[in-house]
Amino acid sequence: MAKKKLSFEESLARLENITQQIEQGKVGLEESIDRYEEGMGLVKQCRDMLSKAEQRIQKLHEKADGSLGTGKFEEPKPS
Amino acid sequence: MKRQPFNPNLVTPSSTKAPARQSTPITVSELTARIKRAIATTLPSTIHVIGQISNFKRHSSGHLYFTLKDESSELSCVMWRSDAARLKFDIHDGLEVVATGHVEVFDKAGRYQLYARKLQPEGLGELELAFRQLYNKLSKEGLFDPGHKQPLPLFPKRIVIVTSPTGAAVGDIIRTLQRRFPSVGILVYPVRVQGESASKEIAGAIARVNANAELLGGVDLMIVGRGGGSTEDLWAFNEENVARAIFTSRIPIISAVGHEVDISIADLVADLRAATPTAAAELAVPVLDEILAGLAMHESRLFRSVRQITALATSQLDGLAHHHCFREPLNLVYQREQILDELCGRQHQRLTQQIRLQRQRVEKNEPTIQRIHPHAAIRNNENRLHRVMHRLAHITSMQCQQHDRRLYQLMLRLRQQALDIKLSHSDQLVSQSHILLSASLRRHMATLREHLWQQQQLLTALSHKRVLQRGYSITRLKKGQQILRSVKQLQDTQRIVTELADGEVESEVVNLSQLELFE
Repeated sequence: MAKKKLSFEESLARLENITQQIEQGKVGLEESIDRYEEGMGLVKQCRDMLSKAEQRIQKLHEKADGSLGTGKFEEPKPS
Repeated sequence: MKRQPFNPNLVTPSSTKAPARQSTPITVSELTARIKRAIATTLPSTIHVIGQISNFKRHSSGHLYFTLKDESSELSCVMWRSDAARLKFDIHDGLEVVATGHVEVFDKAGRYQLYARKLQPEGLGELELAFRQLYNKLSKEGLFDPGHKQPLPLFPKRIVIVTSPTGAAVGDIIRTLQRRFPSVGILVYPVRVQGESASKEIAGAIARVNANAELLGGVDLMIVGRGGGSTEDLWAFNEENVARAIFTSRIPIISAVGHEVDISIADLVADLRAATPTAAAELAVPVLDEILAGLAMHESRLFRSVRQITALATSQLDGLAHHHCFREPLNLVYQREQILDELCGRQHQRLTQQIRLQRQRVEKNEPTIQRIHPHAAIRNNENRLHRVMHRLAHITSMQCQQHDRRLYQLMLRLRQQALDIKLSHSDQLVSQSHILLSASLRRHMATLREHLWQQQQLLTALSHKRVLQRGYSITRLKKGQQILRSVKQLQDTQRIVTELADGEVESEVVNLSQLELFE
């Protein structure tokens, strides 16, 4: 259904829109089933996106050429 | 050394040496040196002077030149660029300041000057003034305009924190981010957040993250800030370069400087100001659990509503399917047929009635029509024609018969005449032929008679009577007269007739025997 990959925000907005459309009965039976499938796909997509994110903390440092490198970040002990 | 011009006041013959020494002219340089020495020994090395700035000039070299004045006096002042760089606020004419420095003579110009190392606004804190000045300046430029604020992403994937790597703030921010949205990527950009180079490092970090955002895999959001401290500690966030770096950043920035009460220029320029670093993290990311709950809610709402729709559709379909027109579809046809029948009947009735009416009219008018109709005349004429034709035929046939009769009579007469002629002619022929014929006849008759006799002799010889005469007999069954050819035709007591040459004898079979010869 989705032609281009939607961002999380777009997916969520689309999902909201679909739910409203179906709840308000604005779409026909066949279309509402299509939308339902699309919506469920979006739910899965959103969950995937949330679980796929980085989950790590890194430290940035300036390199000689002015660009930025990453390294391990040691979090200070909370006082 | 040049000779001094003559001055009679200075010439006293009695005092040749000591007074002469005293009055010996000294060079400008010497005097200046003496004054310099005198000032240096008399005045403290650090002096604080209050006054209003006028004639302020910032030279291209970076040194500042100005005059401090009060109601009655003026004092030339200089501030070297190294000291000027440390000034938090802008200098302008009319500003009441306390200048701190030392007084020295500027040999070349022959005047004493205050070499200010520090300037402090009078009656107002230096930092407060600097803040106000920068605030006014940036405000005029529109850096605080709400129109310039960038929207924050709802779900940032990667956040850069520009702060001290050792402060409490970084820990607070990281913990809060991870608690709320564990999947978010966190990059810490370590900078000094107080001291001389802090603002430069902070501004540089902001610029560099913007420049390298792609390289870092995309940065959605920056948190710039530090934990609480004194006004001086937080000062870097009130610096113009930091404010401009924040304003220029394409990546949205949340500022989090000090505590709730501390408001910095950085806070005012940032896209969003957080009261504390923890608050910044809370503003930066939503709570993942809430989003997941929202997703689950959407899921169940979708499911429920679709189920509702399908259930409704199913019951509607069922209702329609049970409609009598589907259960007894022929009823529709029958109903229409009934209507058709009724219509037909009515039509038929109407037609018959009309026909009757028309017939009545016809019947009523028929005699008249008959009368006036040409049929009658035609029939009359036909009848007449018939009669005429009849008579004509009769007359004709009568005439024909008469002619026939006459013709016949004529024919008879004609034949008679022709016969008479022929007869006389034939008579001659007959008499001639008769003579010829009777001669040949006689001959022929004799031949025939001869032949007949021969035949009679032959026949007699061949007849069975002759055989019988030779002693043979013929035996027949009495009943049926069948000639016996085999004893198989016979039974005992059967009557048989035997024909002999001169008569018959009837006998009865008493003893049948069969010749074995043929068996």
